[in-house]
Amino acid sequence: MKRFILLRAVALFILCPLAARVLADGLVVDKVYHPYVDALEKEIEIRSVFQDPQPGLTNKAQVHQFSFGTSLSDKVFAEFYLVGGKDRARGFETEAWEVELKWQLTEQGEYAVDWGLLFEYEDEVRDEIQEISVGLLAEKELGSWSAAANFLVIREWGKDIVAEYETVLNSQLRYRYSPVFEPGVEFYAGQNTLAMGPVLQGIFSTGIRKSLHWEAGLIFGLDKETADTTWRFLLEYEF
Amino acid sequence: MRKFSFMMMSLLAGTVSAAVPEFELHIRDHLFFPATLDVPAETKIRLMILNEDDTPEEFESYELNREKVIPGKSRTVIFIGPLKPGEYPFFGEFYPKTAQGKVIAR
Repeated sequence: MKRFILLRAVALFILCPLAARVLADGLVVDKVYHPYVDALEKEIEIRSVFQDPQPGLTNKAQVHQFSFGTSLSDKVFAEFYLVGGKDRARGFETEAWEVELKWQLTEQGEYAVDWGLLFEYEDEVRDEIQEISVGLLAEKELGSWSAAANFLVIREWGKDIVAEYETVLNSQLRYRYSPVFEPGVEFYAGQNTLAMGPVLQGIFSTGIRKSLHWEAGLIFGLDKETADTTWRFLLEYEF
Repeated sequence: MRKFSFMMMSLLAGTVSAAVPEFELHIRDHLFFPATLDVPAETKIRLMILNEDDTPEEFESYELNREKVIPGKSRTVIFIGPLKPGEYPFFGEFYPKTAQGKVIAR
């Protein structure tokens, strides 16, 4: 039975992303969501991704996201983002705004796998491009290990883009060593991206119901279409 | 339709939570009662937490990998385990100096 559960967790982490080698614009490497909501919680988050030029391109890519989020109940969390980007041609500029809703579907540990849903709407500032994403979030606890996977279906449309559907699959396997230090590995699959690499994360308590959560990862391209290296960082103040 | 929904949830969840042992934990005057909770090892546990205070409290335990807010004068359920034999401390994040306890799995 344990072997069966372990196999399912491995499938959640590795095999599912391989099925998502379909297309997605923008940077696929971002973060892996967990299907949990903490009631009475607010957060401010800064998320940055630095990516080498993709094969055939000369520009390195940078995406920075600033967000404020708040739980609406013990099952629903809402977050508002401003997304900025920087490249050699245009410098830094605000690219988009985004709203996001996370819905925790099952109680943690109640079933063999914990489930949640993610809904996102993004509107680009400079171009007339809109995007809606719907994602299935899954997480499986295996003792001190946790395996998480996000499968997103994305619809893009607008005057400045050819309307299309895309899919992305992100997954993470992490070892819960201590609250301040959890090593792991992440896997990303989407448009022009098949990548994997180590991540570190942790959380520091800064007071009663106040904490600082951090993540850092170095993700390596696994095929000729993917950028060689992508750095990702996240800093989140929860209160 | 209800049968279909049940089948879908079963498929998504892998297994449906069968009858799991239930334990109660009370929060009163920013303390946990009982402060030590004995549970069977290697068994999933349904833990009913009843907050008798007027103010919210959060059950938190890194060792159990759980955190859950319980509003004042209300109750909630969390699922923990199966646990290996051992001690698993927990605390209340709103009143961490007083609200402390541990789960002992044997």
